[in-house]
Amino acid sequence: MAELFAGYDPGAFFDEVVDADGGVRPHYRNLVDRLGGLSAHQLADLERLRDESFRQAGITFTVYGEGEGVERTFPMDLVPRIIPADEWAHLEAGLVQRVTALNRFLDDLYVGERAVLRDGIVPRWLVLTSAGFEREAYGIAVPHGARCLVAGIDIVRGADGTYTVLEDNLRNPSGISYVLENRSAMTRVIPRAFADHLVRPVDHYGPALLEALRRVAPARADTEPTVVVLTPGVYNSAYFEHAFLARQMGVELVEARDLVVDDHVVSMRTTHGLRRVDVIYRRVDDAFLDPVVFRPDSVLGVPGLMSAARAGNVTIANAVGNGVADDKAVYAFVPDLIRYYLGAEPVLDSVPTYLLWDPDQRAACLDRLDELVVKPVAESGGYGMLIGPSASDAEIAAMRARIEADPRGYIAQEVVALSRHPTLVDDHLEGRHIDLRPFVLCGDKVEVIPGGLTRVALRRGSLVVNSSQGGGSKDTWVLAAPPDGRGA
Amino acid sequence: MLARHAESLFWAGRQIERAQDTARMLDVTYHGLLEAPPWEAERSWHDLLKVLWLDQPFAALERPVRAGTVSEFLVLDPTNPGSIVSSVAQARENVRATRELISTELWEAVNSFHLELRARNLRSEVETAPHQLYQFVKRSCQEIAGAADETMPRDEGWRFLMLGWTLERAEMTCRLLDVRYSQMVSAGASGGFHHWLRTLQSASGSEAFRRRYRASTEPADVVEFLLLSRTFPRSVLHCLIEAEGHLRRLEPGASVRSRPQRLLGRTKADLEFHDTHELLQGDLHVFLDYLLDGVRRVAEAVALQYFRASEELDVRAFGPGRAAAEIA
Repeated sequence: MAELFAGYDPGAFFDEVVDADGGVRPHYRNLVDRLGGLSAHQLADLERLRDESFRQAGITFTVYGEGEGVERTFPMDLVPRIIPADEWAHLEAGLVQRVTALNRFLDDLYVGERAVLRDGIVPRWLVLTSAGFEREAYGIAVPHGARCLVAGIDIVRGADGTYTVLEDNLRNPSGISYVLENRSAMTRVIPRAFADHLVRPVDHYGPALLEALRRVAPARADTEPTVVVLTPGVYNSAYFEHAFLARQMGVELVEARDLVVDDHVVSMRTTHGLRRVDVIYRRVDDAFLDPVVFRPDSVLGVPGLMSAARAGNVTIANAVGNGVADDKAVYAFVPDLIRYYLGAEPVLDSVPTYLLWDPDQRAACLDRLDELVVKPVAESGGYGMLIGPSASDAEIAAMRARIEADPRGYIAQEVVALSRHPTLVDDHLEGRHIDLRPFVLCGDKVEVIPGGLTRVALRRGSLVVNSSQGGGSKDTWVLAAPPDGRGA
Repeated sequence: MLARHAESLFWAGRQIERAQDTARMLDVTYHGLLEAPPWEAERSWHDLLKVLWLDQPFAALERPVRAGTVSEFLVLDPTNPGSIVSSVAQARENVRATRELISTELWEAVNSFHLELRARNLRSEVETAPHQLYQFVKRSCQEIAGAADETMPRDEGWRFLMLGWTLERAEMTCRLLDVRYSQMVSAGASGGFHHWLRTLQSASGSEAFRRRYRASTEPADVVEFLLLSRTFPRSVLHCLIEAEGHLRRLEPGASVRSRPQRLLGRTKADLEFHDTHELLQGDLHVFLDYLLDGVRRVAEAVALQYFRASEELDVRAFGPGRAAAEIA
């Protein structure tokens, strides 16, 4: 094995690069040869080049709860993650299946017969008590039923390397801009490594997203519907991404104060008066979207927006009320939803999940909280989680009290021993836990962007990969199947 | 384009130009005073604050009027919205708010200028190497102008950026003249031509002036050049001609001139048909004030016409409020 990889210890986890016998997996051989020969000095140069490229481009995100340095660059590791063609084909099939079922579920709940409740697949009370379930969305249809226009599905690999769904993000999944920017930085920093691989491109995301958004325009819109991106503003942690997407699509990036609703029609204020808007790709949460029907104190929202959507004059994407389908308690039912709507067995596994309102399951979990992961059902971004094996007694006691006070509010899962990937730490490689967030687009068809965002828990031993919790990322290479059908 | 974006770009243009011109004025004041007695210095620094309309905020700080205190206030005081660091920070926020409309090169130029200003030890540079610092500010602004010129499509966004830029430059050249003029008045006739030469240098106009006026040592020629040159890009007339062009192209095919166009045309005509010698014999300060007022009214008209155009609808939808008050 080349020098950089000498002394690398894959540890007791599933390692993405090194197999159980200590050999390099076939799809990583070219990369190991290419990077392995680099000296510490050369690596430092490459890292400088990368940092400069990110900082100059202003690719930053904001971290809450820290006194200073609100803007940080999102650290990208120089060693890419590689997914061979056959593994990707499996993932892609599973993702399309899952998102299709979730869209059917949401359409059934909001504009359908609620057959899924009638047939007892998901308990009615569970849906009604979900924080993400919005009565205001009743009866508001989305063309093609594409309620999750953009879905980000978090995938992990456990000890045996099986791809498993960890959670669904169906409201405002972010991170796609890093996928594109990571790729663009990598092609600048280590261009020659690409020559050894058939890496599938990702830069068609902007046009693909625009196409999907146009497909869900109200029927009365022009053949060239007007699409806008709605952002909470420059102080939002994902503002960079909002601006990035607007630029990639060549559409206006609007804030609430740029929009006005008159007679159930949404328009934007331009230098030459008002211009009608057909589709809003909104990156504002449901609760802030329209102060008339949601939080009245919201200044991020547009008064009357929901009435315009209900009148069929504008399409809001992602649809309002998607939170019910990525509720972490509903997660436990997704395999059943796939069977129910599609009549097929789930392609991708889920993590064993315990529903804490059930007295038996709760009792069993409370006895071994130190072995489990507990998550609040409606949060995202890794906020409010308990990771039993690394938690203190006090933290466990506090979580126990919270569960007992609100058993519907939490779920427990077995700890997944996330796979690890060699990651640069100073001048050498160490294994760090990773996950994968592929992005799925739904317009009139369902499409997966090859790869996605590989997040890395940069702290040694940490299992939390969220960018808001000290995570980093890797460029993710999906290899194209060779045209002659020989191995990847 | 979105009214809010147009407004952000308009202000970004103004703020970059303001940072640059503040540096120019600091440079000319500082170096003009090197050989002057201390009582003259205090008067000059005070005049500089006054033409920038910052004499009141500075007085509120209750600090002595000296090279060090005034330079710090104008360069690095974050509580002074007109300081160079504040102007650049605001410009950065404004281009950040329009990030998806502007070229990456333009964003990077503004962003790296902002970052570098934050990284430098400005407090010590103001004291030990002011000229180099002002050169750096000037060069960075020129880099931004170059990035804009070479990479921005000539669309509406560009027009608003340049409109803000040229109006600010017209204003600031007026003020630059005003600083020099008041210094000349306070120094008596002894001010001498070399002071005016420095003014030209600080407007990067000494070579162009020489080519046009050869060996002239007449202050009137300098004033004429900085006010009325049709070829020198920092002269007030040139700025107004440029601004007029941008305003015209914002209304392609319009048969009636817009209100900002009419106001600008009037100010421009007043400038064009004035005789410089007359101006120098009268009170140049009063005339410069008049020009500044004209430019300010154009900017207000631009805001009303393009940035708040659709607020009439708010009046209909939500009852008379802010919009009505502004139109009245």
